[in-house]
Amino acid sequence: MSGAVRAIAGWEFRLGARARWILAMGAAFALLAGGVTLLALGSVRSLGSTGIGPSGAALVNLGVLLPSLMGLLLAAGSLAGERDHGMLTLLLAQPVRPGRVVLGVFLGLAGSLWATLGIGYGLALLLLSPVARGQDVLPIAVLVGSTFAVAAAGVAVGAALAAWSRRRLQAVALATALWIALALGFDLAIAAIAPTVHLGPGGLLVVVLLNPLEAGRILALLGMELEGTALGPFGAYLLARFGTVGAVGLLAADLIAWAVVPLGVATLALSRRDL
Amino acid sequence: MPGVPEAFLEVRRLSKVYRSGRGLHEVDLALPRGAIVALGGPNGSGKSTLLRCLAGLATYRGEVILGGRPLDRSPTSRALVGYLPQVLAFPTEATVGETLDLLARLRGAKPSDLPGGFLPGTSEPIGSLSEGQRHRVGLAAALLGDPPLLLLDEPLASLDEAGRATVRAVLRDRCNRGATAIVTSPSPTELEAVADVLVRMEEGRIVRVQGLRCSHLDALEVGR
Repeated sequence: MSGAVRAIAGWEFRLGARARWILAMGAAFALLAGGVTLLALGSVRSLGSTGIGPSGAALVNLGVLLPSLMGLLLAAGSLAGERDHGMLTLLLAQPVRPGRVVLGVFLGLAGSLWATLGIGYGLALLLLSPVARGQDVLPIAVLVGSTFAVAAAGVAVGAALAAWSRRRLQAVALATALWIALALGFDLAIAAIAPTVHLGPGGLLVVVLLNPLEAGRILALLGMELEGTALGPFGAYLLARFGTVGAVGLLAADLIAWAVVPLGVATLALSRRDL
Repeated sequence: MPGVPEAFLEVRRLSKVYRSGRGLHEVDLALPRGAIVALGGPNGSGKSTLLRCLAGLATYRGEVILGGRPLDRSPTSRALVGYLPQVLAFPTEATVGETLDLLARLRGAKPSDLPGGFLPGTSEPIGSLSEGQRHRVGLAAALLGDPPLLLLDEPLASLDEAGRATVRAVLRDRCNRGATAIVTSPSPTELEAVADVLVRMEEGRIVRVQGLRCSHLDALEVGR
């Protein structure tokens, strides 16, 4: 990593760690993660089962939906706000390529978000520790990894929206609308077209890859249960077509692409547009 | 021509037209090394746009030459330019030291060598500073690394008389060491005491160039 990227990332990380609303979002995530875990633990105990299975599954939706929204809003608000206030202009007036500025901002914001999410998961894991078993390590690791990847994708997409928007308010509104579309609209749209268009498992896979929230959710669920039975016929197709390692690799690569491509788009915008 | 200094900064037929039709229209300017240029004109006359173009922050048609080499949007070109935007609000959570340290690292420069007392304490959070003190931090950022071209958009705004005097002294010192400074001001008379050239813009064009101290500026045909 170049010195410029490191300097900008450190700056953004420190600012993120001091921003009250990020701390508030982190506290909200920790409370929700703790609450969901406690509720799921009640089910585990009443059923007399062991392991973190139901609790982990309950955390999947939380770990996909909230971090993606946090990432989108954090990046869209921060980058567009820095542009509105002249700080981004000042950074880009320095002898640094725009791509390095974008990468530094991304790493700093994603780092502060990961730290915030890490605290939330730390609380959840503390609550789960009495029932956790050795074989729970992999599902937890995949769940945390999926969450971090979805959050990073959110930051990258938020940065791209901010780079192309004219004002902070516009960037934040676009980020919110996109999240609603990805979290709710995608499923509704598929349900609407399903009667007329037969997607098939291949088409469904494309749809999943086009939505980082779905890709993150399926990756986390695969980590919970490597046989993929929780994913139904789609899981069976995924594992038959790619195998467990291939499916995990495909979904992970998709999430990485969801971070890399928007960062390229943001770089293009900052390189070509007037500031 | 013997005795006539070479132009250090040459702006040739620079145009930047916005959809509204406003912007810059075929601006030509040639300035020698070490000149302080007070750039005046009414709001919307193109002063800030000209500085943004020269700083590589806006696209334009035309050509800008600095020290015999084209000035573009590359990092190499940006290392030659110190820029103070008209609107600048540093993050309030950052301290003065962190902010200047970041910009110094990006420039590969040492911390500012401004006169003592000009800057607030390095541990002061930006959010606790007055507008004038924040403005001084922005000015210090533009001066980092001793760039040979200074583009300062209203550097005297929000400053008290002592601050203005310090800025004028710092500008004169930098330009005596070879930098060329273009400084905008809604009232360029504020800069008359220190400026070598007064340039007036109206409706995206340079309408008047007046050499104040350097007779050789006329030979450069600063405002063709």
